[in-house]
Amino acid sequence: MSFIEIRQLKKQFRQAVKSPGLAGAVKHLFSQQYVDKLAVAGIDLDIEEGETVAYVGPNGAGKSTTIKMLTGILVPTSGTVRVGGIDPFKNRMDNARTIGAVFGQRTQLWWDIPVSETFSLLKDIYEIPEDRYRRNLDQFIELLGMEDFLHLTARKLSLGQRMRADLAAALLHNPRTVYLDEPTIGLDIAVKQRIREFIKRSNKENGTTIMLTTHDLGDIEDLCNRLVIIDRGSLIYDGTLEAVKNRFARERVIHCQLQHADIPALHDTFDRMPGVAVESLDAACVSLRFDRFKATASEVISAVMLHGEVADFRIDEPGIEHVIKQVYERQLDLEDGHALAAAGTEAAGA
Amino acid sequence: MKARLFRSRRAYMSLAVRNMQNALAYRLTYIMGFIANFIVLIAMYALWSTIYEGRDELAGMTWMQMKTYLLVAFICNAAITFYSETRISGKILDGSVSIDLLKPLDFQKARFAETLGSTVIEGGLTAVIVIIVLLFTSGFLKPDFAHAVLFILSLGASLFVKFGIVYLAGLLCFWTTGAVGIVWARMAVTSLFSGSLVPLAFFPGWLEKLSLAMPFQGIVHTPAAIYMQQLTMTEALGAFAAQCAWAVALWYAGKLVWSRAVRQITIHGG
Repeated sequence: MSFIEIRQLKKQFRQAVKSPGLAGAVKHLFSQQYVDKLAVAGIDLDIEEGETVAYVGPNGAGKSTTIKMLTGILVPTSGTVRVGGIDPFKNRMDNARTIGAVFGQRTQLWWDIPVSETFSLLKDIYEIPEDRYRRNLDQFIELLGMEDFLHLTARKLSLGQRMRADLAAALLHNPRTVYLDEPTIGLDIAVKQRIREFIKRSNKENGTTIMLTTHDLGDIEDLCNRLVIIDRGSLIYDGTLEAVKNRFARERVIHCQLQHADIPALHDTFDRMPGVAVESLDAACVSLRFDRFKATASEVISAVMLHGEVADFRIDEPGIEHVIKQVYERQLDLEDGHALAAAGTEAAGA
Repeated sequence: MKARLFRSRRAYMSLAVRNMQNALAYRLTYIMGFIANFIVLIAMYALWSTIYEGRDELAGMTWMQMKTYLLVAFICNAAITFYSETRISGKILDGSVSIDLLKPLDFQKARFAETLGSTVIEGGLTAVIVIIVLLFTSGFLKPDFAHAVLFILSLGASLFVKFGIVYLAGLLCFWTTGAVGIVWARMAVTSLFSGSLVPLAFFPGWLEKLSLAMPFQGIVHTPAAIYMQQLTMTEALGAFAAQCAWAVALWYAGKLVWSRAVRQITIHGG
């Protein structure tokens, strides 16, 4: 049995439908109409202890809903969730003792008392032994650079400070599992880096299982060895980031700065070369898009050099964001490899 | 097992203490609340003194009893402020209940600890001042020692009863989208049936009987009746026991409603 085990998990929300305008509002008083929206449409997922999983998908895909069922906040409509053998909703308190969570949009710090007081309150809530509390706190203060604002109340913190304090608060009791829902949203690069380092370290040193939702691809590349993509309530990919890149980021663009180029000859060459397409071409510069499984970069450059001098060149890899966007948009064929059945389509909005 | 119980009690204690700090951080709000309550007290005093003009007693109460009643009602009402009340419904409405659910704390006990914490600061001071005024100035009734002790106990029970009602009303917000209506309705019903608006003795017989059959009387009527020695010691003990029974019943009703309400949670923002 896996550490986190999700089986056929579904969550359905009921939403009121209101006809437009005042007449619609009046009508709603007498006869309410609802539609059931399937936010999570039957998910199966296994996560082992110590894994770092990026859980990504477009807005409204069901990411946060899944996390909230894992943390015991929401009750599943059907299906089961087990975290370390515990049902998080039924045994919320037992589960809560062993987890930590950061919801980027919402703070868990007490608003009107100093941050340091929040930490000491958490010490009492989680019954953290004095020596461990001291050790963790000192380490966290150093790693996250929190000396400057420990004495401030949470309402006075900047977003970056608040997020660091929130992260420290979530990990103070050495939870076995940490759920991070967009932990780097709206932060500058320096703070992001610090937060990522901190998360990585906790995973490495304590074997903390980490599940992270994010729209920041830097987070995924930096932190996670596993990528799970959800869309419209269903999983559409489960594998490594590398595999997605290898499989789907096949196209590269090479840009060459030219001197004395024979433009018609270049056109002619590349129109006949398989797997290569001319993006733009003029006397000073040529940009060529090529499929790296059909042509290598050196073949392309050699061909350019036959008809002109290459002063400089640069190769663009497609950003991972581009690849993931293509996955969301179902432009990529996900049938083989690690891809999962694209069953989510009809499930949404049912 | 014993150690575990002790330790988790410490968590709630700690929560209560942090909320006292919170209440102190909001001392201006607290002072404003106190002033507002005090103005109501003065208005009631003026109103009743006009009503009593030229009369010795009304519904079996003398002017001196009435004055005392007003002050005792003032103490009872100071217990849970508007701010404490809206904190519970606010958590549900703005979705921060989800953060509370992440903690290994019982929601009801945690809210009670918080309320107790801020009550010590907000209501406690008021109560202490007014009790001193009652006991050491003339013109007000003073209870004998046994009734005074029972009054203090009854005041404590009144806090439990009021919390039970406030908590249940707050939980209703899981099914509605606004708190103001619920809070106002709750306050209107409470001030009518608790005796804080008009002593229950002024009600027509059937309404008085109805009020005595409901939990609200435990908030003002019971402690006031004990303080003013309108009840014999046996009757007073009985009234106190009824108050405690209501407190326990409301606590369990709160548990029951919570277990249903928590399934209603839909947190906005997916």
